[in-house]
Amino acid sequence: MMGQLLASQFFYNWRRNLSAIAGSAIILVCVLIVLFGPLVSPQNPYDLTQLNLLDSYKPPAWIEGGDPRYLLGTDGQGRDVLSSILYGTRVSALIGIAAMLMACTIGTTLGLLAGFYGGRLDAFIMRVADIQLSFPSMLIALFLMSAFGTGIDKVLIALTLVGWVVYARTVRGSTLGEIQKEYVQAARVAGLRDAKIIRRHVLPNVLTPLIVIATVQVGTFILIEASLSFLGVGVPITQPSLGLLIKNGFDVLFSGLWWTSVFPGLMIMAMVFGINLFGDFLRDELNPRLK
Amino acid sequence: MDHQSATAPLLDVRDLRTWFHTFSGTVKAVDGVSFTLAPGEVMGLVGESGGGKSVVGFSLLGLIDPPGRIEGGEILLDGEDIARASEERLRRIRGREIAMIFQDPMTSLNPVKTVGAQMDEMLRLHTDLDEGARKARCVAMLESVGISRAAERLRAYPHQFSGGMRQRVVIAIALLASPRLIVADEPTTALDVTIQSQILKLMRKRIAETGAAMILVTHDLAVVSEMVDKIVVLYCGRVVETGPAREVIANPSHPYTRGLVDSIPNPKHRKPRLAQIPGAVPDIRNLPSGCSFRPRCPRAQARCAEVSPALAPTRGTLSAACHFPILEEVAAAMATTGGERA
Amino acid sequence: MTTTRADTTLATPMLEVENLEQRFPLRSGIIDRLTFKGGRPRLVDSVVHAVNGVSFSIAKGEVLALVGESGCGKSTVAKSIARIYTPSGGRIRIDGEEVGGYGHRQMLPVRAKMQMIFQDPFASLNPRQKVRDIVAEPLREQLEARGEGNAKARAREAALALLERVGLNAEHATRYPHQFSGGQRQRIGIARALSVNPGLIIADEPVSALDVSIQAQILNLMMDLRDEFGLAYLFISHDLSVVNHIADRIGVMYLGFLVETAPRDRLFSAPRHPYTRALLSAAPTIDPADKAVEMELEGEVPSALALPSGCCFRTRCPFAFDRCTAERPRLQDVGDGQSVACHLVDEPERDRP
Repeated sequence: MMGQLLASQFFYNWRRNLSAIAGSAIILVCVLIVLFGPLVSPQNPYDLTQLNLLDSYKPPAWIEGGDPRYLLGTDGQGRDVLSSILYGTRVSALIGIAAMLMACTIGTTLGLLAGFYGGRLDAFIMRVADIQLSFPSMLIALFLMSAFGTGIDKVLIALTLVGWVVYARTVRGSTLGEIQKEYVQAARVAGLRDAKIIRRHVLPNVLTPLIVIATVQVGTFILIEASLSFLGVGVPITQPSLGLLIKNGFDVLFSGLWWTSVFPGLMIMAMVFGINLFGDFLRDELNPRLK
Repeated sequence: MDHQSATAPLLDVRDLRTWFHTFSGTVKAVDGVSFTLAPGEVMGLVGESGGGKSVVGFSLLGLIDPPGRIEGGEILLDGEDIARASEERLRRIRGREIAMIFQDPMTSLNPVKTVGAQMDEMLRLHTDLDEGARKARCVAMLESVGISRAAERLRAYPHQFSGGMRQRVVIAIALLASPRLIVADEPTTALDVTIQSQILKLMRKRIAETGAAMILVTHDLAVVSEMVDKIVVLYCGRVVETGPAREVIANPSHPYTRGLVDSIPNPKHRKPRLAQIPGAVPDIRNLPSGCSFRPRCPRAQARCAEVSPALAPTRGTLSAACHFPILEEVAAAMATTGGERA
Repeated sequence: MTTTRADTTLATPMLEVENLEQRFPLRSGIIDRLTFKGGRPRLVDSVVHAVNGVSFSIAKGEVLALVGESGCGKSTVAKSIARIYTPSGGRIRIDGEEVGGYGHRQMLPVRAKMQMIFQDPFASLNPRQKVRDIVAEPLREQLEARGEGNAKARAREAALALLERVGLNAEHATRYPHQFSGGQRQRIGIARALSVNPGLIIADEPVSALDVSIQAQILNLMMDLRDEFGLAYLFISHDLSVVNHIADRIGVMYLGFLVETAPRDRLFSAPRHPYTRALLSAAPTIDPADKAVEMELEGEVPSALALPSGCCFRTRCPFAFDRCTAERPRLQDVGDGQSVACHLVDEPERDRP
């Protein structure tokens, strides 16, 4: 399996594409943070017993007055910014990935049904999608969050409702193409029921373009969640994501205490940038028209 | 043969090599192809898919895009080597000297321009005629390819024509600037037989009238035998046999050509089983040693694996690249003793 | 007809089609459907008349070929019989069993008697399925429906034997379709059709996408299989030389109508319908010396959205006269197993251009 990958054209092109390598490296770092962040974190930022109010607003270690224990400084509660970022990245990334998985599942299912059966079902699903697409996704998410209230579960639902459309449309399009093909007709001649044809034949053949969408969407979701949290309608204060960290530091940003929100901001930027770089590479690789 | 040596050839292709450099290796799609074409001569370039026949056609017009490249050889058009011509020079050659007719007329017609505009553009590029004269020429040309109400149809878009009519338009455009050579790549493959016979008849007539030479690229031996003077058979990027059309089809000397001819069902000599060439065309990135046809050849011997045969006269007017050509003349479809079990 | 139970099985045709009709509504937007005919706006639904009352039968072990040009409805006939489309009208009897009104569940056992081979060796195999699963699928479905255990494993095992029978080997079983050439893929498609041991195989242009030398291999394989399994074929093709080689009987279709049907030799030596004659003379041969009497057609096939009145062929027919516009000719028996749908049969003196 590994040998196959190393010998493939995909890997060959990857090795010759600097931005793909950079994107992959950033993603790898993020994955490591998600997996091992709490283990390497100097402090548990939520354990109040580890906090010392006397250490509040310490600047980063390389600036005068900095404390070598707090590499990126501390916030108003004396919380280590680096530790907050390690924990917050985890929250942000997991929300992005989980919401993407939910949106993908729901969108793919609806897209398959719309494309396969057509008619009124198709018209209904696609009109809902069209209406939703005519509003900015941020606006919809804000509206939903105001209606639901805050909480990680609410954020997930809002992001899913925002994100399913793109899968539904893509999958519907590919499904329309696939069901014209003779292998689907062959499955009918073999006597398969619709559900089996969709599951065994259509689904595996419409997944490839979703890889790109899903990758880029994780980045988009991280940004939307950060915006929601920044506006105070996102994750609760007890499980701060990167967006909430920015918000917490934002009040004192112009008092010269910039580190509390700039570092989480850089982290979001790096993560989304990496995801988009890699997503662009995937798009070029998986787009058959460019080959 | 004598009349050919008297006149200088219009086209002289020498040792043409067009390769494609891909991730999985170099594809030698055309690897040492040579032939000549006299003015007004109609030649068939035949072979199965993967033979390289279309790549030869595209090479003649300088239409090879990366990762493909003409690696070597010469394409002499009236003595000028156009394999090394600049893009500027090629643009002048295309249309005026060499015109191309593709299999799918939609790829050569611009869907958002009227037929008249596309024909006019061709004339503006390649002639000095004024507007009135250009229009008259376009109308006359459309009528000559059997399109009625031509003046009116000039204002129509390609999608308003049926498949057969579209191919007539493409032929009309190809003939507009009176090119001396027409390369037709499977011009009737996408058409129905009754339409195909109309188009073939039209091409034969118009080409005879204009005196242009033509290279007909096709997989269909029946089409070739009705159209051309001479045949070049390609297999795995090389010429395996060439000669006058009648002779190549009636009595081929290369075992591959023999196999091709015999595998066409022939109503006159119906047998319970068709003769078949065993196996499939090899992967062109990984050709067998010696003769490429060797693994499928009923006449192959040890020498075929060692030395790649060169094109040489075999019998009468035929030349073939084979160490053990079929020298005796045999009535069609009697040569092979039926195919082996599948 | 009264026959005893014993000889019904042999005498029953493998396939009987009576007055098969297939229409497709053309799905288009409201704007396209709007017309002002008769002074007021109305919505008009256009319908493609793909197959218009086709009747024929195929005996056990017989090969019937349907020929015609693109758009003549020959493939639609095949797909309606295979129930890829639901027929709009007419009767279809498979091995004596009327299946026209069958739903999915009732149809499943019938599918064990009838399978299909497709045209495009690339599109007809699911690129994400392993070859053994592709070949096993029809049998697996039958076994699962009968509630037999271990359907997947048993069907896979049967697939291995089938692969060998069509000239592939067991190592090929775990590969994916893209690792095969066009000819090999077509063999895989044939193995899939054979997996349920059917009596009828519907072959929709099975060799037209293949190179000529591979075409011969596949045709030979199909004929061997017919001898071995007593298969009947409904063979759809546009290639007259292929049809001449493989068919026992031939039906010629034009614009959704069956215009002539005859035993092979009869059709090639004495075609009666003007369209058949034009088709035969238009087909290129490698031996131009034996060209049949030249008869060239003008114009192109009319649209199936608006069929001509009377005879479907009259717009291109050099013999057409007033009766052809007024009255649609019926397929009538002219002896020697030949049937023709043409008014010239009644008025042979008009058979002069």
